[in-house]
Amino acid sequence: MNYLGIENVLFAVIMVLYFLAMGAYFVFVAAKKENMAKVAMLLQGAGFVLHTVALILRGIGAGRLPLTNQYEFATSFAWGLCLVSLVFVVRYRFHVLGAFAAPVIFLIIGYAAMQSKEVHDLMPALQSNWLGFHVSSAIIAYGGFGVSFVLGIIFLMRERMKDQGFLDRHVPSKEKLDLIGYRSVALGLLFLTLCILTGAIWAERAWGSYWSWDPKETWSLVTWLIYAVYLHLRIRRGWNGRAAAIFAVIGFIAVLFTYIGVNTFLPGVHSYK
Amino acid sequence: MQFAIGLLMILVLACSVGSLITQKQPYAVYADQYGERLAGAIMALQLDDMFHSWWFVVLSAFLCLNLLLCNLIRLPSILNMMKKEADPVSSVGKTGSVELSGIKDPDGFFKAMGFGNVKSGESEVNEEKRSWKYSVKNRIGLWGAWVCHLGVLLLILGFGLGQATKEEFTVYGLPGDSQPVGETGVILTIDSFDIGLREDDTVEQYTAGITVRRPSDGAEESAEISVNNPASIFGMKFYQNSTGWAADIHIKKNGEALQDEVIYAGEYVAVSDMPNLVIYLNAFYPDYVLKEGKGPMSASSTVKNPAYLYSVYYQGQMLGMNALMESEELTIDEYTVTFDNPRNFTLIQVKRDRFTFLALIGGLVVLAGLIFAFYTQEAKIWALKEADGTWTVHGMSRKGGVLFAEQFREAAEKFK
Repeated sequence: MNYLGIENVLFAVIMVLYFLAMGAYFVFVAAKKENMAKVAMLLQGAGFVLHTVALILRGIGAGRLPLTNQYEFATSFAWGLCLVSLVFVVRYRFHVLGAFAAPVIFLIIGYAAMQSKEVHDLMPALQSNWLGFHVSSAIIAYGGFGVSFVLGIIFLMRERMKDQGFLDRHVPSKEKLDLIGYRSVALGLLFLTLCILTGAIWAERAWGSYWSWDPKETWSLVTWLIYAVYLHLRIRRGWNGRAAAIFAVIGFIAVLFTYIGVNTFLPGVHSYK
Repeated sequence: MQFAIGLLMILVLACSVGSLITQKQPYAVYADQYGERLAGAIMALQLDDMFHSWWFVVLSAFLCLNLLLCNLIRLPSILNMMKKEADPVSSVGKTGSVELSGIKDPDGFFKAMGFGNVKSGESEVNEEKRSWKYSVKNRIGLWGAWVCHLGVLLLILGFGLGQATKEEFTVYGLPGDSQPVGETGVILTIDSFDIGLREDDTVEQYTAGITVRRPSDGAEESAEISVNNPASIFGMKFYQNSTGWAADIHIKKNGEALQDEVIYAGEYVAVSDMPNLVIYLNAFYPDYVLKEGKGPMSASSTVKNPAYLYSVYYQGQMLGMNALMESEELTIDEYTVTFDNPRNFTLIQVKRDRFTFLALIGGLVVLAGLIFAFYTQEAKIWALKEADGTWTVHGMSRKGGVLFAEQFREAAEKFK
């Protein structure tokens, strides 16, 4: 069976589903068509299920975990963000979160579509069981931070929204938004710590050094420190949700720089020479 | 707290700068890249090796001190809170952050909220004897930040001590070579070296067989190492780190054999009877092709059309540079030079870091601390019996806020 061929077709279908979900969410928020929220969630849910199948097929087709190049990580990143946002939407009955997460997911999957989908055999340094733990934890971490970013944006926009009826029905209070944001940061930070830890153990086995201030490592630490500041500021007196929301947005910019910026502008030693 | 936040922000800034400036380069590289004035500032501020600069070490030391003091200061209050939360009487007389009256089945409510180990009793509450029920959960959550701080402290200590005391050596050679490993007193023999290639010519794995001997007591151990699979021998770790090309070099003088040696790519051999005459092997191309505009390159990594890029130096001055095929000879006056028998050598990294375990423990402790802090949030609920036989339930959660209150109200409504 041509697993990679099927994965390729599924990928196109997933993009369409995510795009339609984004459109349905847009109608829900812009035109206040409340029944569109469920349609959007169903489309996104269907996209997520097919996305999961596509990742499994790619894994089978490649004969390894599909987490080793820019395309695979980008599509997995979108999958992780979709998973975490769906969990938060269902857990907190919060469709507007889905509406704001959908464009971010679509942008990331769009970025994935621009990358090479070729399957290459792994270089020796990547042939490690730690790779799966390391990258999977990064995906969940980025998903958590992505949701906190979206919540930060919603928090900041909530102050400017005028339709109180729609607002009360679909957007939680600022206090609740702040708490949900904190929980998504907590999820992200926990998994980022796991990601750094498993990466260090792997680096120690592959390169003989668990920490070498490689740009990717350094920026993971920068991201970790930014969210550590967020947590400390949050328990300070006088600290309010608005500042937390701004910080959640800044934190995610660091996440994106760690993921895309470092690979593009600061090539490191994540390769066997 | 403010000091800690300030310190973290400075570390964010420092790490960002350290990652943007290429590290450990000579002044000329910075001058070329940023101009002389900025390059001077980079060198003066030690931004060229920022992560080992005195001020970065001082910042890290301040962070350790801050973590230590924070934990020492908070320890008594956490112990006090643990004690207080275990005592129902100190809580049941108070009003919770959320409360609801008219509950008929308090036990059902406690269960629905996920609170077990419900204590009950009678106490004076507002000068009235009242029956109460009380339960507290996730008290370990009180330790979350404390444990996390401890973990970061251990992690930094483990890393710092490891950096200060680690021993690191590299040994390279061909199968059959034996070499001492630095000052460690052990001798490393390379028994074998194999590069596993796939059909598409990409490398599947680099594998070396090694034997490590300790002459002082005659102990000897052998192991096979490959990328991602180091070996631990005599308290040191041996890593298959890298590879390169080596070949035999033959030098004749007036047709008579003068010298036969092994030469490594990137190294030189001096002519034995004329040490000022040096042959330097710049690079080796196993499958040599010369493409216009691209210069010499190798079409594959298999030895099919070997070529040796060499330079000749006399008294430090380069006389010439060219590529020599295996069947060709290089003639320099009465000397002729040939290369053959190209093969891969292995570079093995040897390392001893006695504090890696401490950093690992630190990392695991950080993880445990975060789990405690985020997912075992301390909360308590209690119920007081009213005169009409119903109960008023109260709840308090340190971090749950409105979400805890929402869950509390939803659950309580079902038991009215």
